[in-house]
Formats: sequence, structure tokens, C-alpha cells
Amino acid sequence: MSEELESRLRAAFRPVAPSDEFTQNLIARVAADQRSPSNARGVRERSPKASAWWLSASMAASLLVAAGIQQHVQERRERERGLEARREVIEALRVTSQKLNLAYEVIKSQSSSPADDAPGV
Amino acid sequence: MRSCSLGILFALLAASPAWAAPNPRLVLPEFSTLAQKATESVTITLDAALLAMAGRFLDGNDPQDAATKEILKGLQGIYVRSYTFDRDSAYHQADIDAVRNQLSAPGWSRLVETRSRKSQANVDIYLMVSNNQATGLALIASEPRQLTIVNIVGAIDLDKLHKLEGQFGVPKFDIDSPKAPPPNTKK
Amino acid sequence: MTEATQDFSDEQLAKARAGEAAALALLIRAHQRSVYSLALRMLGARDLAEDLTQDVFMQLNGNLKSIASNTHLVFWLRKVTTHRAIDQLRQRARMETTPLDDETPHLSTVDGGDPLLQRHLWRLLVNLSPPARAVLLLRYQEDLDPSDIARTLDMPVNTVKSHLKRSLETLRQEMPSPEPSRCEGNST
Repeated sequence: MSEELESRLRAAFRPVAPSDEFTQNLIARVAADQRSPSNARGVRERSPKASAWWLSASMAASLLVAAGIQQHVQERRERERGLEARREVIEALRVTSQKLNLAYEVIKSQSSSPADDAPGV
Repeated sequence: MRSCSLGILFALLAASPAWAAPNPRLVLPEFSTLAQKATESVTITLDAALLAMAGRFLDGNDPQDAATKEILKGLQGIYVRSYTFDRDSAYHQADIDAVRNQLSAPGWSRLVETRSRKSQANVDIYLMVSNNQATGLALIASEPRQLTIVNIVGAIDLDKLHKLEGQFGVPKFDIDSPKAPPPNTKK
Repeated sequence: MTEATQDFSDEQLAKARAGEAAALALLIRAHQRSVYSLALRMLGARDLAEDLTQDVFMQLNGNLKSIASNTHLVFWLRKVTTHRAIDQLRQRARMETTPLDDETPHLSTVDGGDPLLQRHLWRLLVNLSPPARAVLLLRYQEDLDPSDIARTLDMPVNTVKSHLKRSLETLRQEMPSPEPSRCEGNST
């Protein structure tokens, strides 16, 4: 492997930054998402009863979200595995056909010039 | 007494899996030594569950996918081990003896044996047949810089495999039925 | 570790997990280049890359509590970014080839970057399958070795090596190189 080619590739693929405007907007959006009620981190003071209720509600919501995310992640993984399996099937059959073709070529060349190849069929 | 002994024997044959129908699935070694020496390795292990999963992602409208789907019907497994080396004779025939020995077991018939002095490529193709139907295929391709072993388990439809010509470059096989090779075969 | 992670400590990660806005902003600044660049080179369009980058950080925001360390954070960001990009590309079925103009803004132009290499690289990228593209980027942008790439993409190591080998062979064929093109078993 050419080390020069690899170092050229690394140079070409060096990370590039998005615009400053994008970065500012992103930080603001994420911060806003943090401050929204569903993402409250307990910054505001609450009464103990309200805290307990809020904790239960948050946990329930978190569990639902986690379950949803889990399902989404599982579905995505399933899809990825399926697509990978498809790719492997095609590759396996391609390799098989390639080797069958190799045998065929030998047989074909044997029938035209038997001196070059050992009879095999 | 004799009939009693025979009865016991048949019972043993029926009960013991070791005496059941020949197994078209080969036990493929790890080939760790070959993998270490190889510049490229292809290891594909697809059992029935994975084949079924793959089948769900094959597009019936695509000719290649549709042909592949047809082939997959009735298959229970596809196993490929392929190693490419950067020099000749990096592997030895002894490395694949463990596979060849299995193919000399009852049930396997060598369908094709090709030896090319020109390209130094040897290809052996074996079939396992049960009730006049191919139930397993094994292929060993030995080339100077590449070794490939393929084992396909299941109801192989040779006609469909033959029809893959053009999709994967599979050659036309003049095989009417998976019977013993015709005369002039070099054993 | 990349440059960015050296600027962001585990202590700052803990603060971000605790909800400190300043720490969160620092986290974004430290890692956005990597995420954005992956997204950009996978999807080929700035607006799509920005959307994906935002989605990834929003998703991270919701999952920060489960991030155990900076190493875990980097792994998580790479994995989510590449998987989401691959999903998007597959849904689109076929990515439209970005017109090759004199500017290929998706690749670095620092150090007087080689414009010919950049054009060939970009042509190579758009013609690769999404997983193969991700493999190449994780290797040469993120400097991961094949086993880490395999973990990130949930892909067998040998498949990663095959992708790398084929991509580099294609690139070598298209690019005239002063050195003899010989692979020294690097795909192993």
C-alpha cells in the first residue's frame, strides 16, 4: 500500500468546519431543547411533592422514549443485518459462479486443445 | 437370534444421528493460519435464518435479485471461505485435507474435476444427492494465489443455478441429472 | 484521539451531562467538525449535512446521560452519524452525483491540497455504496483501524478490509501514481 497515497488521502479528508452561523444556531437549538419542560434538568426549584410527581412522570416518559428508541434501534439493526445478509448472499453466489466459470473455461479449453489441460470431466 | 440382532442394528441405525442420512454441511476449519497469510479473506456463513432474512431484502423487480431469490428457495446454508495471497504456493493441499476427507464420505459424488496446467487452477465440484435431488454442493478451487471453498446446503436446483448465466457469469452445465460422471473422468 | 477530543475533557463531559450550557456548547464545538465532515462527505450536500449534524447532536442531547466517557462519546457520534447517513442514502436509493466543478468543498483544501486528487476522490466517493463510503471516511478522516470501523458500522472486519482494498484499487487505477501500485497486505 502506498504510504504517500494514504497520507494524501488523510490530508484530503481532514475534517472541515461548518459555518459559524450554523454552529451558533446549533448550540442555541440544543440549549433550547435542554430548557424545554420535557428536558428539564431540575434547575427550577420545586416542592418535594411536585418533585416526586415530576420524577415519576419523567421516569415514565423516559421509559417510553427509551422503549421507542430501543425499538427504532432494533428495527434499524434488523434492517442493517438484512441488507448485509443480502450483500453476503450475492457475494457468495458471485464467488461460486466465478469458480464454476473457471471450471467451465478449463473444460472448454480442454475440448479445443486437450494438450494444455488435463482431462477432468 | 439373527433377526433379533438385525432388529437391534436397525434400531440403532434409526436412533443414532450418526447413522442418519449423510450431512451436506461440511465442517469447515478456522483456517486461521491461511487467514494470517492472506492479503484478503472472504468468510461468509449464512444459515437458514440469515438466508431468509436476506431473501426479504432482495428486490423481485431487479433481475439479479430475482434470480438470487429463486436460487435461495430450498437452500439451508451457504458457506464460503476464500483466501487470496500475494505469492504463489502460499498454501498447501494438506491445509484442505480436512475438507477433502469429508467429501470422500458416503453421499458425496464428484461431479467435476478440472486440472489446468496452463493456469495451474484446479476445480473440484461435488454433489450430494438424495432421492434424485441434489441436497448439497461443495466446490474447492485451488489457484496459485487463491484458495476458495464453497459449501451450499439444501435443495439445489441445478437448472436455476445454470440459469444464473449472465447474472453472475455462471457457465452452462450440460447436466441432465446429478448422476455419476460419464466415462473418461480422471479419478 | 482526534484534536477535538483533546480539547474536551471527561470533566467537561460530566458538566454537560449535568446540563451546564457552557459545557454543552464546548462539547458541540469540540466534535462538530468530525460529525459535520462525515455527514457532508456521506451525503454530498451542505444542507443535508447540516440537518444530519443537528439531528445527531439533538439525539445526543437526549442520550447524554448514557454516555460514560469521552471515548464512548466519540464512538457514539461516529456510529450514529454514519448509520443515519447510510439510512438516508439507502432511502434515497441513489445519490445524485454532485457536479464536479472547480471547487470540491467537501474535501479539505488546506496545505494547497491537490485538486486532481480531490476530484478523483469525490468521483470515487459518489460511486461507492454507502457502507463502502463510510468505511473510507472512517479510515482516512477519522483514522480508525479496520476493527474499530467494523465495530462502528456493525460490519465484519473482512468486509471492511474488502471495501478498503477495492476502493483504493479503484482510486489507484484512476490516479497516476509515481510509486508502483502494490498493496503490501495492508488489508489484512
